[in-house]
Amino acid sequence: MIKIVKRDQPSRAIFFLTPVLAIFLTLVAGGLIFYILGFKPFEALKFFFIVPIADKYGFSELLLKATPLCLIAIGLSFCFKSNNWNIGAEGQLTFGAIVSGGVALLFYEQEGFYILPIVILAGAIGGMLYASIPAILKTYFNTNEILVSLMLVYVSKLILDYLVVGPWSNPEGFNFPETRQFSDSAKLPLLFEGLRIHAGIFLALAAVVISWFVFYKTYLGFQMKVSGFSLKTAKYAGYKGKKMIILVFLISGACAGLAGVGEITGPIGQLHREISPDYGFTAIIVAFLGRLHPVGIIFASLVVAITYLGAETAQIFMQIPKYTGQVFQGMILFFLLASDYLLFFKFKFIGSKK
Amino acid sequence: MNTNLKISNVTKIYPGCVANDNVSLEFNSGKIYALLGENGAGKSTLVKILSGVIIPDEGKIYLNENNLKLNSPLDAKKNDIGMVFQHFNLFETLSVFENLIIDSDEKREGLREKIDTIMKKYNFSIDLDIPVLNLSAGQKQKVEIIRSLIRNPKVLIMDEPTSVLTEQETSELFLSLKQFSEEGILIIYITHKLKEVMQLCDEVAVMRRGKLVSVSEIKNENIESLANKMVGQNLKTIKKTKEKTSSEQLIKITNLNFISDDPFETNLSDINFSVNRGECLGIAGISGNGQSELFQVLSGEIISDKNSIEFNKNYIGDLNPQERREYLMAFSPEDRLEQAAIPQMAIFENVALNNFKSSNFFNNGLINESKIKEHSKKIISDFNVNTDNIDLKSQFLSGGNLQKLIIGRELITSPDLLICFNPTWGLDVGAINYIHETLIKINEQNKSIILISTDTDELLKLSDKISVIHKGKLSKIMNAEEVTSEKLGILMGGGN
Repeated sequence: MIKIVKRDQPSRAIFFLTPVLAIFLTLVAGGLIFYILGFKPFEALKFFFIVPIADKYGFSELLLKATPLCLIAIGLSFCFKSNNWNIGAEGQLTFGAIVSGGVALLFYEQEGFYILPIVILAGAIGGMLYASIPAILKTYFNTNEILVSLMLVYVSKLILDYLVVGPWSNPEGFNFPETRQFSDSAKLPLLFEGLRIHAGIFLALAAVVISWFVFYKTYLGFQMKVSGFSLKTAKYAGYKGKKMIILVFLISGACAGLAGVGEITGPIGQLHREISPDYGFTAIIVAFLGRLHPVGIIFASLVVAITYLGAETAQIFMQIPKYTGQVFQGMILFFLLASDYLLFFKFKFIGSKK
Repeated sequence: MNTNLKISNVTKIYPGCVANDNVSLEFNSGKIYALLGENGAGKSTLVKILSGVIIPDEGKIYLNENNLKLNSPLDAKKNDIGMVFQHFNLFETLSVFENLIIDSDEKREGLREKIDTIMKKYNFSIDLDIPVLNLSAGQKQKVEIIRSLIRNPKVLIMDEPTSVLTEQETSELFLSLKQFSEEGILIIYITHKLKEVMQLCDEVAVMRRGKLVSVSEIKNENIESLANKMVGQNLKTIKKTKEKTSSEQLIKITNLNFISDDPFETNLSDINFSVNRGECLGIAGISGNGQSELFQVLSGEIISDKNSIEFNKNYIGDLNPQERREYLMAFSPEDRLEQAAIPQMAIFENVALNNFKSSNFFNNGLINESKIKEHSKKIISDFNVNTDNIDLKSQFLSGGNLQKLIIGRELITSPDLLICFNPTWGLDVGAINYIHETLIKINEQNKSIILISTDTDELLKLSDKISVIHKGKLSKIMNAEEVTSEKLGILMGGGN
């Protein structure tokens, strides 16, 4: 007989094992879905998860997709660890891209080493500005940051739409909804000839290191930890709660803004309508799959990035809509939340020994 | 008809603790039974088993020789076992009648008639159509009692019913309980207050650490004998030696007001008092009368007008708790697990919550772990916290040890003033004694205390001066010698 028993203490091993279990269950359930759709499950999963990263190009694509996910998720982990539910990273990404794109367009047909840093900085500031809206509304007007940050996503997308169709659209662009190409000095350098992976990956890695340091070694990180566990305690200890809320939103917005910079100044090199396949939303899954831990987030971003690639491969080779990728992302989150049950409960096998 | 309730060999085991260890008890109607024990003795578990909330691992329950299967609270109700919990299960925004009809099977009109009869019979007067949030604690409890009586229970279990009541409400409750008992309802009264047992009950069963220690008739017991049974050792009594306190004023509160925008908080109006060095000011009151708000205003969690608080000749009303600590104030909040400490964090991390400048816990924004740990070890040995592992998560400390850690953390700066709110709430007698001794020691070192407490005995034992808070207003400040618990009771209920 199996009995479910409450654990005395959440197990640390299980804490890091549940994401692995969640991925495994996702694969099983995914295989089942493919089977129901009439595909051979193993072959379909192979197309989804192995084929896309089997060659050098595929691996570069994987890193390309993982970079914004990792960067945004690191930023979100600051918010989530301190109980601030910033759901609007997609909007902060978009607005960061708008601001940095605007700056890049200012330097149209100019060259100079100073241009790229300015463009990157502009993206970070754009993201911060946009994230400061829900933060300030939350701290001074008691609004719900989930709603505000989420709604602002749609606002930012409409602003982008307006700009690329209207004032910023390429004069020689035959009315395509896109801006001019940025000058080479405003683009992130590609790392390898013929591959799309670009220097943005270093921004993500820097964010990982910095966030680890802040979380585990600084007073600021300690205050965030305390506020995350109990706002009442933070207040009692005398931490400046409002400032901290704004700060974590700014950090998170800056990271999302940087991800936006990477998207437009990387291989594409212009602003257009669809700069992000919902990286900002998917990064929420990445953050939780990575347990809000910097190293965990690296792995999680790689895993989730595969679902983007797999969806494309599956669409090409198996004629499955690429939205299957989102199904997989959803399943990962679903199974992760479900297997978190094991953090607090364990199965006890009774009756086997006599 | 005679009712006989029998508990037979009941055992309930939780991870790491045997809550009920082979408990057998028998009750007969016509008598009022006390189930006495400290917090954690297992009485609540036993009561929850009787009311179907918890299913025991072993053992049986018989009502009039019938074996009861109590798998849910509904089963208990169906078997005529009524229960009034310590914390009210009422919907604050619904009317009294709506609250009563929710779990009743009867028709509207019939029910109203029945309630009227019950109220008339027992002399309750409650308006059935006003929202529950407008009722006093005593009235809310009557609503809970009526809810049980509607079902004509054979057994009525009262779980620590007087913790929220005034002295007067308590005696009203006792009258009603005696009346129920005379009418043949079997009353089981759970408490840790010895005085009440002596006043009300006929027989007493004492529990300690999950075991039934003794069953005896009240007439063969007295307060001391029961206390010793409950604690399992002979208690030494602590007494504050009265010394002349200095006349130097340490803190002065002038015209302090707080208006909350939360309807479930209490507004404070026109608070004025002062405390001298070496003095303990006790603030009595029934919980929910503004104690929590007063504590927060004093600690700086709620910031007030700069001039409203004068501490050691500085105006500090607009400073936050961390800044106030620099002026040598210290705070021990009521809620140990939600506010004063973070259970999921290690002991040494909890120590770092009191970050005063000279501690060097954090240098240039970086965590100085070795400093924090060194400091934590000192607190643990100075304040008798029963562990030697400062990396232990604080959730594994008992309530008493956690409270010692918190008080230790606050006192390590040797503050001039300690403000504590229900510092011994829910602790066992040993820990209570230790905390009381510590508080007395602080006064002896010419440091001051503001003690906000709902425990009248504690206040009378420790305070030099006492005031009562009622609906956010303080009564005049009285010398502790002139105060009796009856007088406090009247003031706590809003009388004069």
